[in-house]
Amino acid sequence: MEDSKGTIRKNNRLISNLLKGKPQQYLVVGIIFLLIPIINLWTGMISFSNMTLLNNVVIFAIAALGFNILLGYAGQVSLGHAAFMGMGAYLSAYLTMQLELPFLLSLLLSGLVPMVIGLLLGLVALRLASLYLAIATLGLGVTFQNIFIEWTALTGGHAGLRRIPYPEILGFEIRQREHFLILSIVILVGLAIFSYNFLHSKTGRALIAMRDSEHAAQAMGISLFKYKLYAFALSAFYVGIAGSLYAHLYRYVEPSAWGVELSLNLLAMVVIGGLASIGGSIVGAAFIQLLPRVMQDLPLVGGITNINFILTGVALIVVIIFFPTGLIRRFDFLWNKLKAKVGKLNSKEGGTP
Amino acid sequence: MKILKIEDLSISFGGLKAVDRVSFEVEENSIYGLIGPNGAGKTTIFNCISRFYTPDEGKVLFTSKTGEEINLLDYRVEEVIGKGLARTFQNVELFKMMTVLDNITVGLHREMKGNILFEGFKLPMIKREEEKAKNKAREVMKFLGIDGIENQPAAAQPYGIQKLIELARALVSEPKVIILDEPAAGMNGSETKELAKLITKIRDHYKTTILLVEHDMGLVMDICERICAINFGKKIAEGTPKEIQDNIAVQEAYLGKGDEEDA
Repeated sequence: MEDSKGTIRKNNRLISNLLKGKPQQYLVVGIIFLLIPIINLWTGMISFSNMTLLNNVVIFAIAALGFNILLGYAGQVSLGHAAFMGMGAYLSAYLTMQLELPFLLSLLLSGLVPMVIGLLLGLVALRLASLYLAIATLGLGVTFQNIFIEWTALTGGHAGLRRIPYPEILGFEIRQREHFLILSIVILVGLAIFSYNFLHSKTGRALIAMRDSEHAAQAMGISLFKYKLYAFALSAFYVGIAGSLYAHLYRYVEPSAWGVELSLNLLAMVVIGGLASIGGSIVGAAFIQLLPRVMQDLPLVGGITNINFILTGVALIVVIIFFPTGLIRRFDFLWNKLKAKVGKLNSKEGGTP
Repeated sequence: MKILKIEDLSISFGGLKAVDRVSFEVEENSIYGLIGPNGAGKTTIFNCISRFYTPDEGKVLFTSKTGEEINLLDYRVEEVIGKGLARTFQNVELFKMMTVLDNITVGLHREMKGNILFEGFKLPMIKREEEKAKNKAREVMKFLGIDGIENQPAAAQPYGIQKLIELARALVSEPKVIILDEPAAGMNGSETKELAKLITKIRDHYKTTILLVEHDMGLVMDICERICAINFGKKIAEGTPKEIQDNIAVQEAYLGKGDEEDA
C-alpha cells in the first residue's frame, strides 16, 4: 500500500517536473497535437476540409504570435501586417517556382525579407505614436495590397499565382494535409519556444519595460526606437513565415487575401486570445479560425447564408466584454484553481498516516 | 574630486526661463541636496542632467565609470546609465506588469550582452548572464530589505515598497552617481527617518554619490553635506545645511520677505 502510493507520488513529481518550464509545456502540448494528424493518417476520421482548417489555425497562430510581440509585448499597434504575410506568400511562391530554391530555404527567406522590409518601413513609421502609427501602417497595408495587384510580372495580378509546388524536405514531398499539419505544428512549437526564450531575457524585458513606462525604460538605458524597430521587424518575420506556409498549403496566392480584413483579424486574434501571451496568440487564432465553422454547424441558425459571420461578430463582442484580458487568462485562472484543489487533496492524502 | 559639475545650465520653455545659468559642483561620495520652493526648476535641472531635456546652454561635466570627464550633453538619454549615472522618478515609474525581480533586472540592461538570436536558442552564455543578473538584483533587494517578493507583480506592492523597488533598479547597475527625485514624497515622518538612514547606508556601501531633490527640509538638513537652493530657476545660495538655514535669501524664498509680513 505504502509502496504504490510512493510510486504514484514519484510519477506525479516526474510529470510536474516535465511540465515545470513553459518551453517544456509547449513541447508536450505540441506532441499531443501531433497525434491528430498521425492518427488521422490511419483512420481518416477528420475530413480533408477540416484538416485544411486545422492547418489554417496553426498557420495563423504563427502569424498571431508574431503580431503579439509587436502589440502585446512592445505595445505598438499595426493595421498593416497583412502586407508582410502577403510578402512572405508571394516571395515563397516566386523563390520555389522561378528560382527553384529548396522549400526550407525559401521558407526562411520569406521570413527574413519581410523582416528587412519591416525594418526599413519601421525606420519611418515608428517615428509616429499610437493612433498616427495605426493610420500609417493602415496605409502601408493598402499600398502593399495594390503592389500585389499591379506588379503582375511577379504576382500574377488579380489572377494570382497557381500551382505553387508542394513543400519538399529532404526529398520527401508534403502532399497530404496531415503531413503539412505535422510540419506547421513543428514550426509553431519551435517558434513558440524561441519566442518564450527571448521574451524572458534582456530583449523581452526591454520590450515590456518600453510598453509599461517609456520614461523609466529610457532611464534604464533602453533605446525606445531600437526596440520598437526590433518588435516591428520580428513580427514581420513571423508573419512572413506564416505567409510562406499559407502559399504552400493552398498552392495558390491572390491579392484579395492580404487586405485590411486580415490585418484586423490578426488584431482580433491577439486581443481575444490574450495580449502579451504566447498561448493566447494560439488560442486567439484558433478562436477566429474555428468559430465560423462551429457557428455554421449550429442547428436552425447555421443554415442561414452568411449567418456564421454575423455570429462570429457577436461572439467577438461577448468575449471582449466578459474576458477583456483574453481567453488564455481565463484558462490559466481555471487551471490554477484546479491545481490548488489537487494540491489540497494531495496534502490531505499525505497527512493521513 | 568633483564628480559632477553643472556649468551655466539654462533652459526655457516657450519664453519662460525655467532654469537660468545655474552652476554647482558635487563632490564624489557625498550627499548633495537641491532645494527650492514649488516650481523653482529642481526637477527640470534633474531632467537636463539625466538627458530627458536638452538645455539651451551650459555643460554637465561628469566623471564616468571609466574615469574620464565627459559632457553628458553629448550623449543620448539611454546612454547616460551606461556612463554611470542612474535616476529615480518623482512619481514612481515601475514596469507594472513585470515581477519585482524583473523590474530590478532591467536596471542591468546596458550591461547585458545578449542578442535575440542567442536568447532565442537559450545558449549557455545567456543562461549564465541571466543568472548573474538575477543574483545581483537579489543582492540589492536584500540590501534594501525587500527580499522575499521577487516573483510578485510590481504593481501589487504598497507605495513605500514600490519606491524601494525603483531605488533598487537604479542601484543595481552600481552607478557612480544616483539622482533621486523627491524620495520622501508621500512618506510619513517615521518612514522619512528610515529613508534618511537608508540613503546614508547606500552611499557608504556602494561608494556612490547621491544627488537629491527634496521638499522635506528635515531630510535634506539631516543627511546632505552640501545644499544648493534655487528659486525661479536661479541659484540663490549654496553651502552646508547650517549656512543654508541661516541664509536670508533662502528664508525669504520659503517664508516670504520680512516687510511683506508687516504690510
